[in-house]
Amino acid sequence: MFESLFHALPVALSTESVISMLIGTLAGILIGALPGLNPVMAIALMLPLTYGLDPLIALGLVAGIYNGSMYGGAIPAILLKIPGTPSAIATTFDGYPMTQNGQGGLALKTACWSSAIGGVFSALALMTLAPLLAKVTLAFGPAEYFWVATFGLISIAVLVGKDVSKGMLCALLGVLIGLVGVDSLTGEERYTFGSLYLTGGFELLIVLIGLYAIPPIIEMAENKSSSHFNAESFKVNASVTGVSLVRQHWKTWTRSSLIGISVGILPGAGGNLAGLLSYNEAKRRSPEPDSFGTGNPVGIAAAESGNSADNASSMIPSLTLGIPGNLIAALVLGALMIHGLQPGPQLFTRAPDVVFGFMWQMLLTSLVLLLLGGMVATRLFAQVLRLPAALLVPTTLVLMAIGVYTVNGRVTDLYVMLAFGLLGYVLNRLDYPLAPVVLGILLGPMAEQNLRLSMLISQNDWTILFTRPISQGIILLLLFVLFSKLWKGGWSRLIAYLKIKNQ
Amino acid sequence: MKTTFLLSSIALTAFSLSPAMASDYPTRPIEIIVPAPAGGGTDNMARMLNQYLQDELGQPAAVINVAGGGGAIGVNQLARARADGYTLLSTWNSPITTVPHMQRVQYSYETLTPIISTSQSAYTMCVLPDFPADNAEEFIAELTANPGKYTYGNDGVGGTMRLAAERIFGALEINARPIPFGGAGETLQNFLGGHVDIYGGSIPPVLPYVEDGTAKCLLVTSAQDNEALPDASGLEALGYPELETVLWRMLLAPEGMDASRVDIVADAVTRAVENPGYQEFLAAQGETLNLVRGEDLRERMHVEFEAIGETLENLGLKRF
Repeated sequence: MFESLFHALPVALSTESVISMLIGTLAGILIGALPGLNPVMAIALMLPLTYGLDPLIALGLVAGIYNGSMYGGAIPAILLKIPGTPSAIATTFDGYPMTQNGQGGLALKTACWSSAIGGVFSALALMTLAPLLAKVTLAFGPAEYFWVATFGLISIAVLVGKDVSKGMLCALLGVLIGLVGVDSLTGEERYTFGSLYLTGGFELLIVLIGLYAIPPIIEMAENKSSSHFNAESFKVNASVTGVSLVRQHWKTWTRSSLIGISVGILPGAGGNLAGLLSYNEAKRRSPEPDSFGTGNPVGIAAAESGNSADNASSMIPSLTLGIPGNLIAALVLGALMIHGLQPGPQLFTRAPDVVFGFMWQMLLTSLVLLLLGGMVATRLFAQVLRLPAALLVPTTLVLMAIGVYTVNGRVTDLYVMLAFGLLGYVLNRLDYPLAPVVLGILLGPMAEQNLRLSMLISQNDWTILFTRPISQGIILLLLFVLFSKLWKGGWSRLIAYLKIKNQ
Repeated sequence: MKTTFLLSSIALTAFSLSPAMASDYPTRPIEIIVPAPAGGGTDNMARMLNQYLQDELGQPAAVINVAGGGGAIGVNQLARARADGYTLLSTWNSPITTVPHMQRVQYSYETLTPIISTSQSAYTMCVLPDFPADNAEEFIAELTANPGKYTYGNDGVGGTMRLAAERIFGALEINARPIPFGGAGETLQNFLGGHVDIYGGSIPPVLPYVEDGTAKCLLVTSAQDNEALPDASGLEALGYPELETVLWRMLLAPEGMDASRVDIVADAVTRAVENPGYQEFLAAQGETLNLVRGEDLRERMHVEFEAIGETLENLGLKRF
């Protein structure tokens, strides 16, 4: 296996492959950085153009766009508080406060290095452990998926934000939004009120852009006079080098990468869950958890390495089993089939140069980020902040509207985006966290469907949820997260109570 | 302004209806609506065909993805478009023959203009090696002998695979428990992990596991056997060719498209599918050509629409 791996390295370093990786990464950063444009769309539109070319040219572009967009999404998250891709939600928490504190340059640099490191870890896992991790994927049945979704939903509702009950309420609101549409198990319509549009349910991407991108724009319009741009704030102190970042963040990067890789091998979860779980874990571990959300670079390091570590590992089930882990993996499978390569266990022996070459490309494009990332972000995107609000606000809004419209070509999507924008603005103003809403939309239906699927399989024997070892492990983890938070909360309240009593 | 526009559009319509103009079609780019998201199987097939089709038509053809509502939203949009031949629909069968039974839609196979059907593929049912059956007869006998024991993964309620399976099970009085997953990928994952007993889905994803002996595919839902799955029987071999349900693809247009223009498009498709690049692609996807044109195509839609309506009725899923 390692022989084939190294045999594929020169193939991945061929001129065509390198050029396609560079173009892909650059395009990926730009696509990720523009809210509304998303990598799935870009890859879907680009792949047909490469049908006649060598498969590794197409895959180099895919690898570049995928890894590039994961970092690109962090740029507007840091500069404008607008996540460029769903995965960059957690990056806004500390990224934007850093820009406000005049540390925008440091935030971008941290994001760039974290994305690259997460991507490299993940690619290494893909190269060395793919067949082994694929077995883990298969061990997860509906019962296990129910617990994964429940764990993600509850831990994020409880840990993100300051108020547990507000977090829970927002998660439930998300679940409610996620329920709209046709129930996949019975075909029954729920909350559609006879509308054809609603039978399809709300599309996550559109809701997300509405919730996350419109409120900052309204806020920008509100304080039109003030500008965050300050040329100084994008000059990174010379003492901050790659080495110093590694020294500062290696523990966070390792932990977050492991979380990202674990989320990646499970089809259905995704980069946004990986980013948020990594952020939570970093916050939980930190000696000063209260500094998170006010501009702590560790928050960016965790979120960005976590979401990028999801990338290559999400290719594990697709390449080894032929089961696409997400939409991009499905596109990669489609591209392989167009080139006559049937995904599945035999792919590694039938087309080793293509498979291992693609793995190298996933690794190399992560490194290319270090080369291109900082330059694009600070030289190009940071300048955006120079624009007066009167130009920036409408331009951003128009770009997003175009992006949303291209997803399905439906005008109604734009109204839905605006409606969710107003909802997001209200929630922001009342200090309700948005991340649990998004996770509720994503994980609520996942939990519900898998619960009902396990009941169908077991013929309504609910013990199926508790008898299997992986489920038991996740339940323990869930209890641990829940009680460590409650215990901490209870402890500090007890101390406060005693203090008052003593006075 | 409005009047001028109205007059000119009337003039244009009248002009375009005159037979002399028909030979000049197409003179500008064509829009092809695909009622599925970019990057899916339907989209890939449509874009691949499109590459060769635009050469034959001599005009660029742009694919426009209008996803949602199980395909109904895209077909609705097509149904409202002008029947001038510049807006066409490239769809699979479910939005036409299944969805109208389950959702309120604003179109019907009776009014849309049929152009031509292109390729089709069957679904298969597979089991793990320890399953006590090695061919379709034994498989059916085992399922009949154990009502309610076995679970089969499928592509969801109203999904074509589930309907294909239920038509067969209904006729043979088999009771197997359907577990609706989100698609063939999810079904495969749960089948290989042992979470469901039977794989029900399209052929390409499971093919590698047949080759390495991890899966035994015993039945295909087409009348004919499938070359790629030598152990599986088609429905003709079992004596029920009329129960065939396959996934198939077609080009349609809004109501009232000029017959000579329909022929121009149908002829162009007939030539485009001969292209070796397209043929290779079909083979890789496990699809075969089945070109049916004009009123024969409407009859094909009609027969399937009725059969699926009956199956859904029996399952208690028919709403409209």
